[in-house]
Amino acid sequence: MEKQYKSVGEEAWKNNTEKASAELFIFTYGSLVVQLAKDYEDYSAVNKQLDKMGYNIGVRLVDDMMARTSLERCSGFSATAEVIAKVGFKLFLNVVPTVTNWSADAKEFSLILDDNPLNDFCELPPKAVADGLWYSNVLCGVIRGALEMMQMQTEVAYVRDVLRGDDVSEIRVKLVRMLDEEVPASDD
Amino acid sequence: MVAVYTLYIFDRHCECIFYTEWNRGRSPLSTDRSTAAATGGRSEGSKEPANTGHAVDGTGTHLAGDSQRPLVWPTSSTSTAHRVSPESPRNIAMEEEAKLVYGVAFSTRNIINKLNSKDSPQGGNPGGFMSFATNTYRLHYYESPTGVKFILTTDIAAVSMQPVLEMIYRNIYVEYVVKNPLFNVDPLASSPIENDYFRAVLNNYIREISTTASIA
Repeated sequence: MEKQYKSVGEEAWKNNTEKASAELFIFTYGSLVVQLAKDYEDYSAVNKQLDKMGYNIGVRLVDDMMARTSLERCSGFSATAEVIAKVGFKLFLNVVPTVTNWSADAKEFSLILDDNPLNDFCELPPKAVADGLWYSNVLCGVIRGALEMMQMQTEVAYVRDVLRGDDVSEIRVKLVRMLDEEVPASDD
Repeated sequence: MVAVYTLYIFDRHCECIFYTEWNRGRSPLSTDRSTAAATGGRSEGSKEPANTGHAVDGTGTHLAGDSQRPLVWPTSSTSTAHRVSPESPRNIAMEEEAKLVYGVAFSTRNIINKLNSKDSPQGGNPGGFMSFATNTYRLHYYESPTGVKFILTTDIAAVSMQPVLEMIYRNIYVEYVVKNPLFNVDPLASSPIENDYFRAVLNNYIREISTTASIA
């Protein structure tokens, strides 16, 4: 099962993607965060805004990913975690985070990113670190938005970040509940 | 030759965000059968009396001799599409028709899921509902993993339009609707698809498959 997702991700990355310049993307993202920091001046508001932007990206991104990889719905939450890591991240960022730290009830897991491309060329000023800025918080929003379109309500947040001095970047994904499909409003 | 009659697209909130019809003169689903050779004037209602349906602006969608442009719904007042007017000959109003079509497809899919013991509150199509046929037309169903539903009606000869529907989802809907930053993907509300490129590419695609060998 795991091998299958890995090969789906790699094949989709090789064949079904138009590649863009990584540096352009990284610098565009960096200037976006800088502008948000200037506008809001409060780093927790910047975090929220990044998460919201990520959410808007995520709801569309998931359709794109499904179209490119012809995947079906996952059988369970662990399969979902594998797909996010091996197919989603691979397809769009060309990195494969590791899925670890499953909670006892299998409703939470961590994605360990050894190498986050968005962090290249980036250094956070001490004030940003002290105020709790999560630089790549947009990724959390993307995961949350994408999973909500797949009928899962989740809470996604950064736990550790290399830019703040930790050794690895870690995103914690927690499944709150499965959302039911909407039924058409009845006429009576 | 496959005759494609209508396409409905429903979003995750059970709303019809797009409807279009082709081949009105020959479709068993339309009451408009006598206008095969007539202009599109009558079906447009009173809003655009001068537009006779002959493609003046070069978007000529001549579907195997049918000179009428495909009608589209829902449309806002600023849309440039050929709209299905309230006065056009139909048995029931467009909103009702869309709801009924959705209900039929939704219920059939649920029954099939239950019979396969694969039903779940999350929906999806694990039972694999693909199409049903009456003696005049066949209705094809495709549901994307994200819950967007595509319903296509064709003549009975087309046994499987699953590849067509998948193509429409992957290469037309995702490319021109999902990737359009102006299309509102609101978690709570629905917005109709009002996108010229989407309509143009879709019409071209349907025209291509209608004129090639039928898919059997």
